Amino acid sequence: MSGLTTAPRPRLDIPPRFRPSGVAAAALITVALVLVHWYAAVQTNTSPKELLEGWRGLWSFLFGVDRTYPNGKTIHQDGAFPLDLRWAETIRPGLEYCLLTIWIGLLGTTLSIPVALFFAVISSRTTNRFVPLWFLGRGVMSVLRAVPETVYALMFIAAVGFGAFPGVIALAIHNVAVMGKLWSEAMDEVDQGPVEALRVAGASPTQSAAHAVLPAVMPSLLGLLLYRFDTNVRSSVILGTVGAGGIGFFIKTEVDSFHFDTMMTYVCMVIVLIIVIDLFSAWLRRKVGTV
Amino acid sequence: MSEHAATLSIEGLRKAFGEKTVLDGLSFQVASGEVVSLLGANGSGKSTSLRCVVGLERPDAGTITVGGVTAKPGEAVPEVAMVFQKIHLVPRRSVLDNVCAGALGRLGLSRSWSVLAFPREVQAEAMACLDRVGLADRAREKAGRLSGGQQQRVAVARALCQRAKVLLADEPVSALDPAASEQVMNLLRSLADDDGLAVAAVLHQPDLARRFSDRILGLAGGRLVFDSSAEVTDEAVADLYRPALEAAASMASTGTATKEFA
Ligand SMILES: Nc1ncnc2c1ncn2[C@@H]1O[C@H](COP(=O)(O)OP(=O)(O)OP(=O)(O)O)[C@@H](O)[C@H]1O
Ligand SMILES: [Mg+2]
Repeated sequence: MSGLTTAPRPRLDIPPRFRPSGVAAAALITVALVLVHWYAAVQTNTSPKELLEGWRGLWSFLFGVDRTYPNGKTIHQDGAFPLDLRWAETIRPGLEYCLLTIWIGLLGTTLSIPVALFFAVISSRTTNRFVPLWFLGRGVMSVLRAVPETVYALMFIAAVGFGAFPGVIALAIHNVAVMGKLWSEAMDEVDQGPVEALRVAGASPTQSAAHAVLPAVMPSLLGLLLYRFDTNVRSSVILGTVGAGGIGFFIKTEVDSFHFDTMMTYVCMVIVLIIVIDLFSAWLRRKVGTV
Repeated sequence: MSEHAATLSIEGLRKAFGEKTVLDGLSFQVASGEVVSLLGANGSGKSTSLRCVVGLERPDAGTITVGGVTAKPGEAVPEVAMVFQKIHLVPRRSVLDNVCAGALGRLGLSRSWSVLAFPREVQAEAMACLDRVGLADRAREKAGRLSGGQQQRVAVARALCQRAKVLLADEPVSALDPAASEQVMNLLRSLADDDGLAVAAVLHQPDLARRFSDRILGLAGGRLVFDSSAEVTDEAVADLYRPALEAAASMASTGTATKEFA
């Protein structure tokens, strides 16, 4: 014991935290970032002056404005506040539209499950060791994911007309790619031990997927599914604004006809809707045992 | 040896990972009804040799024959099962379903796409295997709920459900307490004695190896340094671990440690 305390430890130089080359690189990166942002601001007309004028426009949108026409008449244009709180004309239909938005998000998520599972299984190294098929799965998902939901919705609306159904299909297709990727990553991270054990027992890749990988990742998959349901309900609001049904469609209709107060009521309902879905999905994910 | 044909025979096995030669012409046999222990320092190639036999690694050279039939490199052999130090059951599945999974190799996808599709006769066989390891009463419990020793016996039952003739065990008792180790080693011994399996077990406890096996193989640097059917001398066992022990001793001495930083 005493030998340990008396033996002096050798003094060593502390290695420097920053090196000159590192400092120079940091300075260079900072300058480059500032330049890029300045250029972007010029291109997008982002300036304090624009911000001030936009603010004035926002004020009249929110609280109304009196417009004087050349013939001397002055007409009051209603703003978003006070809200339009009529039950039969606004709130009750609004609630129905919200429900429709949920149904679109739900079906868009659920319908994508089988195909997403297929793509996840062929795109995970754990479940598929046949490289060409692995690349095919990854490739198809990348392409599908590169197209935003809104663009799918526009295409299907062009094909079948306005309505909730093109929204469902658009969400489902996009979700196959996104959820398939998330699921395959969850499968990549699974403990390889049981997979190897079943391989030794002569199991085929499909059999080890069913009996080693899936049981291990099921809670993660369920958690990701709930997370995607949450996200898809949000997306389905946006899809509505391009004509794919639900509350988004009516936000767009009301704003086009200058009923800003009705529109703002719907926006408030969307906020509540999103928060409720968010809480619900978080609660369910906790129940399932994943974060 | 003479009354048993060599059930597992390994000849001139070579394997390198990159530049590093891990197996350097390893040969040994395990006969039916025999328990063979493999001893050797960390990194001496024990796990790699077993993994080559079951097709988890593809050897660079050498032949593996099981029951006289040459195994295809890198492919599983139906007659050879393996249990692992980390056991590798599916913890969320029931004990019975884990054991049934041993039969996957002989079940088509229509009878194995889900646990619900497992045929009754497979489940009955799995129950018999569970009974063999003394855990039939735990069949419906989740595997993750069992103790380490019980889980290792379930893994052995899974190997039996595979109808294996050769059982490889890679450090089957390294994570178990002495009582559970004893139980698992007794089970392996009895599988050789009563069921005629050929058992090869990697062990890190020379003492267990002496008590439970018919022969002890010493590995060093991917080569066999002794194959002893008689009592292994303490010295031979100590030699296996000597280089590692010397390295550890020099690491512990302060002189070497400070020199490395200076
Ligand atoms: N997949 C791999 N890639 C690269 N090197 C590997 C791989 N598997 C094993 N090795 C190396 O091969 C050598 C032998 O490993 P092996 O696992 O066979 O040793 P072991 O005798 O089982 O040791 P231990 O007692 O630690 O289990 C080690 O140096 C290890 O780092
Ligand atoms: Mg090992």
